[in-house]
Amino acid sequence: MPEKRDQLMLLCLRLGAFFCFTGWAWVHFYWEAPYGAILWQDDTYSLLGRFGISWEEFVGTGAGDGWVQKWSGRIGWLYLACAILTLTVRKKSRIQMAGLLGGSVLLIILSYAKFLKAQSQLPMFVEHGGQMLIPVLLVLALALGIRHRATVITAIVAFIATFAGHGCYAVGLWPTPSTFYAMTTVILDFDFQATKIFLLVAGILDFIICIGLFIPALRCASALYGFTWGLLTALARPVAGMSLSLNYWGADQFLHEAVLRAPHFLIPLYLFLLWKQPASAPATEANPDSPEAAIMS
Amino acid sequence: MKSTMKLLQTLLACCFALAIAIPADAQQKQKGKKGRAVLTIPEVEKKDIICFALYTVHGGTLKLTAQLYPLAEDDPKAVRLEIEKDGEWVEVGKVDAIDPGWTAPFRVENWDDSKEAKYRVRHGEEATYEGIIRKNPIDKEEIVVAGFTGNSIQPAHGGDISREDIIENVKKADVDVLFFSGDQVYDHHKHYAAWLKFGRDFGEIIKDRPTLCLPDDHDAGQPNLWGESGKISTLSGASDGGYSRPGEYVQEVERAQTSHFPDPVSPQTIGQGIGVWFTNLNWGNVDFAILEDRKFKTGPAGRVPKQGPRPDHILNPEYDPASVDVEGAVLLGDSQLDFLDSWAQDWTDANMKVALSATIFCGGAHIHGSANGRLHADMDSNGWPQTGRNKAVSALRKSFAFHFAGDQHLATIFQHGVDEHRDAIWSFCVPSIANLYLRWWQPIEPGANREDGAPDYTGDHLDGFDNKVTNFAAANPETNPAGNVLNTRSAGWGIIRLNTNTRDITMECWPRNVDITDPASEQYPGWPRTISQFDNYNPPSWGQLGELTFDVENPVVQLVDAESDEILYTVRAKGKSFTPGAPKGKTFVVKAGKDAPDTVVSEGAKVGSDPQSVSLN
Repeated sequence: MPEKRDQLMLLCLRLGAFFCFTGWAWVHFYWEAPYGAILWQDDTYSLLGRFGISWEEFVGTGAGDGWVQKWSGRIGWLYLACAILTLTVRKKSRIQMAGLLGGSVLLIILSYAKFLKAQSQLPMFVEHGGQMLIPVLLVLALALGIRHRATVITAIVAFIATFAGHGCYAVGLWPTPSTFYAMTTVILDFDFQATKIFLLVAGILDFIICIGLFIPALRCASALYGFTWGLLTALARPVAGMSLSLNYWGADQFLHEAVLRAPHFLIPLYLFLLWKQPASAPATEANPDSPEAAIMS
Repeated sequence: MKSTMKLLQTLLACCFALAIAIPADAQQKQKGKKGRAVLTIPEVEKKDIICFALYTVHGGTLKLTAQLYPLAEDDPKAVRLEIEKDGEWVEVGKVDAIDPGWTAPFRVENWDDSKEAKYRVRHGEEATYEGIIRKNPIDKEEIVVAGFTGNSIQPAHGGDISREDIIENVKKADVDVLFFSGDQVYDHHKHYAAWLKFGRDFGEIIKDRPTLCLPDDHDAGQPNLWGESGKISTLSGASDGGYSRPGEYVQEVERAQTSHFPDPVSPQTIGQGIGVWFTNLNWGNVDFAILEDRKFKTGPAGRVPKQGPRPDHILNPEYDPASVDVEGAVLLGDSQLDFLDSWAQDWTDANMKVALSATIFCGGAHIHGSANGRLHADMDSNGWPQTGRNKAVSALRKSFAFHFAGDQHLATIFQHGVDEHRDAIWSFCVPSIANLYLRWWQPIEPGANREDGAPDYTGDHLDGFDNKVTNFAAANPETNPAGNVLNTRSAGWGIIRLNTNTRDITMECWPRNVDITDPASEQYPGWPRTISQFDNYNPPSWGQLGELTFDVENPVVQLVDAESDEILYTVRAKGKSFTPGAPKGKTFVVKAGKDAPDTVVSEGAKVGSDPQSVSLN
């Protein structure tokens, strides 16, 4: 039984990483990855100038592509490769693990670009914690164990980053993104006041479940809520935006927005499965020396 | 194995270190960098609680909106408007300031616009804000309109530089009407704070002359705007159509920027309770159509075949332009087109017509951003949808309207074409006050039929949607790196001088921080340019009917297709004679009248027909 559960937990992390990389690969190939905020800077140009790269070579001549346009598309292949690695990586596949950690670096750079694009709002970077850390989590789970202290702590960090970052926006500590209001209004048909209250409550709950992870009695419920809320907020994009009247029902615009957010609900599910023990099974089923056992006690 | 493990550990440590270091470093840099303006609402004394006031006068009605700083809970909410009559202040209006936004919109009917009047807005016992309601300048030969767009306040590209040069120049030019075409506010969350800053920057000139501010995309809190009649947008970038910010936010924005406009032609609310304000302002014998070119426009995402990395951008030069002109895609919408149709025929108290909108009716740039990013077509421009664009341009040329707009961050002069090049209106797109996003008009092929010595980028072109356009000027920024100050980024503002006597229209395009009265000051290359009002509908393929000679000055003349009954145009003639232009090979009914075309003067007019004397007395 525990083995099966461990497999299920590993599957959560594997799928989380797979969908995250797949969703972002789609963005790179089909849409536009958000690197503009990093690339279109005088600092970047100065740096390249030191390596003898001209402005035209870097950004294109206007009639032809430069490095920026060419490499933005090519990065998509790296994302696709990482997505495949999430399926093929095994306990002994050290090189594949290294590749996945490289994928994590890619996600960090991408999150940094989104952070810059969002006028350097800290929660924008923080809320991508789940996405940035999911490859790391998968590697840790394979290399050290699905219940190892490092794996569990990283999952908790990823969980807190995702929900606290989201909560900062929802309660208005930083300006609440327009899409939060829009999706709530479209899906739930709330008026403005009700939407504001709903987002405030949702944001407060985001923080509560982060704290709840450290309270044994609330741990499971917090993870379960995190799974549910993470899934709903991921699905909210296609649910609010897709329409039968659009080309491909708008799936090409909105579906990947849910797919790349898979870590937002699969990391909480992993934690839920970790902590949700059968009534008869004691916590010591896990390695008694493992820090996870300490966290659970 | 050990070394691989070591590598893994190192990579892992790097991931964590990057995740922490990157934003921390960026935050640190942000603090020390001259990058982002801090937008706050200053605390002011009670006597200074009124920040500024905007007004228009039209059809005997004064509409004035006072903009207040936040009122405290125990402050009175009532705001009063007083007019000086015979040396005494007389209260003519009293309203409660509306929260959110703290605006106090006044409406005074039976306004005598033949005299200048001093006004003051008052709040409580201490706060007073004074200005002048100008007299209607109907006796002025030249009406001067100053146009602005893109009021970035960010220091990175000169947005923090004082607007004092603009203030001084507007006063020197004795501008009659101020036109802010959009993006008065760039902050997507704090319109109120940014609007107050706008008032502090420009209030000194706004308080004394009619002012029109069109709320554009950034004012409404989003990067681009396809309003789709008030739909809610859920897609990042908003190209799915609709408003990203809640309806209440948009309403507050429009209340602040447009509640002093003449009454809307079609008072109604659209989705999310958002109002409709398109209308006209008649001032100094010029009739201005104030258009909403964003509010009804369809969003392209999911409606048109994908042609680039963004739903609204077309990068593929080989694409079929007809494929994106999808059925049902709206630009101005039927009610606004109906308004334009009746506006074009109404020449009451008007010698000239000008259309004001956020942006121009074509794709007016090729290179976008701070790099050499060539964009074949941008659906944020009014070049798309083509059918809607042609309807709009066709409606405007029926009154020989000149088009004044902004938004593009690039000053241009275009003459538009519908069926052939140069068969429709002229447009002047003004440069940004401070330019945060660079664009260049840089066609790959030189334009056809260029003027002698004109740059290659001028002349007849097809824009990215295959719309016929003729470029006469473009204030392209310097090539990259474009620098971080105002004029290397082609910042500036525009003036149009409308001579209601000669019917000439002169376009001026000024850089920032020059004295426009100094003969040594130079405008951007390509300006000034003077055209005639009648150039706005003078297709090259047309001929001329016989000259009409009237017994009254400046009659209104209308040309109607005898077969289809379609009105080709209505215009107020200059002087006592008028030679109507018309397509060859067709028969026309010509109507005329002192102020409306109510008399049929010819029923079988053709190109080349005989001159005719017409009595309208």
